[in-house]
Amino acid sequence: MRGLSGGRWRLRHWRLQTALAALALAFAVSLPVLLLSVGGGVSSHELANLRSTGFEVSLSAPGEHGITGAHALVEKLAGEPNIAVASPVLSVPVDLFAGTSGPVPLLVEGVVPSAFLATLPPEEAGLFPKPLPLGDPTDLVHFDHGTYAGPSAGRILISSPIAYAHGLTVGTPVRLAATPDGVGAENFTVAGIFGVPPTLLGPTAAFAALLPLSDLQVLTGYARGPSGDVIDAADTVEVALAGSAATDPGAVSRVAASLQEQYPFYAVATQSQTVQQAERAASILTGFYFALSSIGLAVGLLFLALVLVRRVEGMRSEIAVRRAIGVPAGQIARELAGSALLLAAVGIVGGMVLAYLAIAALARFGSPTVQAAVELSVYDPTTLLLLAAAVLGLGVLSSGLATRAALRIPITETLR
Amino acid sequence: MSGSAPSPATEVYLDGIGKTFHAGRPDEVRALRTVTLRIEPGEYVSIEGPSGGGKTTLLNVVGLLERPSAGRVFWNRTSAEGLSERARARLRLTGVGFIFQRFFLIPTLTARENVEMPMRALGRPAAERRSRADELLGLVGLSGRAGAYPHQLSGGEEQRVAVARALANRPGLLLADEPTGELDRANTDSVLDLLDQAHRTTGASIVVVTHNPLVAARARRHLAIEDGQLVRDSASE
Ligand SMILES: Nc1ncnc2c1ncn2[C@@H]1O[C@H](COP(=O)(O)OP(=O)(O)OP(=O)(O)O)[C@@H](O)[C@H]1O
Ligand SMILES: [Mg+2]
Repeated sequence: MRGLSGGRWRLRHWRLQTALAALALAFAVSLPVLLLSVGGGVSSHELANLRSTGFEVSLSAPGEHGITGAHALVEKLAGEPNIAVASPVLSVPVDLFAGTSGPVPLLVEGVVPSAFLATLPPEEAGLFPKPLPLGDPTDLVHFDHGTYAGPSAGRILISSPIAYAHGLTVGTPVRLAATPDGVGAENFTVAGIFGVPPTLLGPTAAFAALLPLSDLQVLTGYARGPSGDVIDAADTVEVALAGSAATDPGAVSRVAASLQEQYPFYAVATQSQTVQQAERAASILTGFYFALSSIGLAVGLLFLALVLVRRVEGMRSEIAVRRAIGVPAGQIARELAGSALLLAAVGIVGGMVLAYLAIAALARFGSPTVQAAVELSVYDPTTLLLLAAAVLGLGVLSSGLATRAALRIPITETLR
Repeated sequence: MSGSAPSPATEVYLDGIGKTFHAGRPDEVRALRTVTLRIEPGEYVSIEGPSGGGKTTLLNVVGLLERPSAGRVFWNRTSAEGLSERARARLRLTGVGFIFQRFFLIPTLTARENVEMPMRALGRPAAERRSRADELLGLVGLSGRAGAYPHQLSGGEEQRVAVARALANRPGLLLADEPTGELDRANTDSVLDLLDQAHRTTGASIVVVTHNPLVAARARRHLAIEDGQLVRDSASE
C-alpha cells in the first residue's frame, strides 16, 4: 500500500455515506414537523371551536326524559342574576323525505328560536338568517302553557350541504318522520337555509336542521309523562352569562356551582371545563407526537453519529498523521462538530421540505377527512426553530462520539 | 524567504532512555534499553541497524511521539518529562518536521493544501500560508503541481511534497524514517538532495533512519541500534 488509501474512491464513498446520513436525518426531522403541524393544527382548530362557543354553562340530562319542564326552567334561569339567556336544545335524528328522495337521515336540533342564536358565538350566529324564520319565536304557538295542543308553524331550517345535496330551496315542501319507514310523517316547508362551519366531525354534523323544540318533540315523541303524553323537555340547556361574568372564569364557576346546587340531578358543566378537558387531551396527543418524534430523531442522530464514527475509522491514518505533526485535538474535534452541524443543517432543511411535500401530497391525494385535517396544518415558527436547534445541538453532541474515537487512535501504531 | 526566521536548530539529549511495550505481559517487548545520546544543534545523523532493532522507536521518542518508559528526553536542555499531551503536540507542530516512509499525505487535500496543513494548525493567515506553500513547492520542484491531489502524483513527487510539508513551520529538527524506502534510485537522490539543501539553508538538525547506505552516506554522524541498544556511534571521515 502506498501512503493513505486512494483519495478519489474515498471522496465518492464519503459523498454517498453523507447523502444517506442527511436523508435519514431529513426523514427523522420530517416526522415531528408533520405530526406537530397537522396534529397541532387539528387540535388547535378544535380547541378554538370550543373556546368560541357562545354559552358558558350547560345543564344536561341526556336520556329518556331529559330536562323536564324545559320552557319553565329556561324562564326561571333567565330571571337569575348574571344569566343573560338560557336556551334549551334537543338533538334527535329523524328522517327526511323530499319529493322522491328519502329517507335522508338528519340530525335535527329543537330550539327556542329567540334564545338559540343568543348563546352562539358571533361567527357561528352569523351563519343563520336573523331572526330565525321559524314563525314561532318563543316556541309557544305550538306549546301552549304546558300542553302540546297548538298548531305547528310547520317550518324547518336546513343546512346548506343537505339543501345542495337534495335540491331543496326556500319554500320546498318536505316531510319528516321519526323512523325511516316514514310512518307518522309530518309536513314542513323549508323556511331558510344556513351555512355550517367547517368541522372535522364529518358529514353527519353538517347534515343538520333546526326546528322549534316543541315540533321536534311532538314529531319524535321524546320524553313522555306517566299518562303517555309528550311532556316539555330538552336534553341540554345552554346558558350564556351576562356582561363581565361571561369572561370571568371565577364568575362562571360560581354560577355553575349555584346551578348545580339548585338542580342536583342535572349535569352542570362549564365551557372552560370542557375546554380544559380538550386541552388535556390535546396536550397528551402533543406529548405522544413528541415521543414518536424523539424516537425518529434518535434514530436519525444515531445514524449521524455512526456515519461520523465510520468516517473517523476511514481516516485513521490521516488523523494519526495530523496528530503526529501536532495538529491540536481541539481542531479535530471542531472539524467533526462542523461536519455534524453541516449534516444536521442539511437534514433539517431536507426534513422541512419532505414534510411540506408530504403535507401537499396528503392535501391532494388523501381521503376527505385527511384533506380536511391537512388544511388545518399550522407551522409554528417557535416549534420549528426549537426542533432545528435541538437537532443541531444533538448533532454536535453526537459528533463527540466520533471525536472520542478520533482521539483514541494510537498515533505511532497507526503509522507503522 | 517570507515569514519568520528559521527556528534555531534543536539540541536533543536522551538520558538513559528505555522503552518497553506491553510491560509485564507475556508479549512484553523491550524496544529500547538505556540509550544515552546527545545530538548537537545542526547535526546530520543517520540511524542504521537490523529490522526490529528499535530505530523507529528511538526516532519517535526523540520527536515526542512516544513517551519513554525510563530515562528523560531534553530538547534544548529542557526536559519534556512533565509535559501534557497538548504541550507535546504544540512542540511537535512548531519544532519537528516529520518525513515518513509512506509519505502520509492527506488524500483529500491538494499538494498545496498538504503543505499548508501544519501552518493552518498554527493559525497562520491564509495569504502567508499560500505564499509559503508555493515557495516550498518551488523549492522541491513542484511549482506546477500545487493543485494536484496525492493520487495524481508519483511516489517521488509525493515524498517531495512531504518534505515541503515537513519544512512548513521552519522546524529546528527534521526526523525522517526510511524516507526513500519506497523510491527508486533517481527519486532517492532527489529527495536526499532536498534534505541536504534544507540542512544547509535552515541549519536544522536532521535524524534519518535508513537501511540504505546511500542515505546514510549523506549524514556526518552514523549511529547503529541493535536489540534496543546503541552499538555504533561514528563520524564520517
Ligand atoms: N506499539 C508497539 N507495540 C508493541 N511492540 C512494538 C510497538 N512498537 C514497536 N514494537 C516492537 O519494538 C521493537 C522495535 O521496533 P521498531 O519499530 O523501533 O524497530 P525498527 O528498528 O524501526 O524496525 P524496522 O527496520 O523494521 O522498521 C520491535 O520488536 C517491535 O515489534
Ligand atoms: Mg522502523
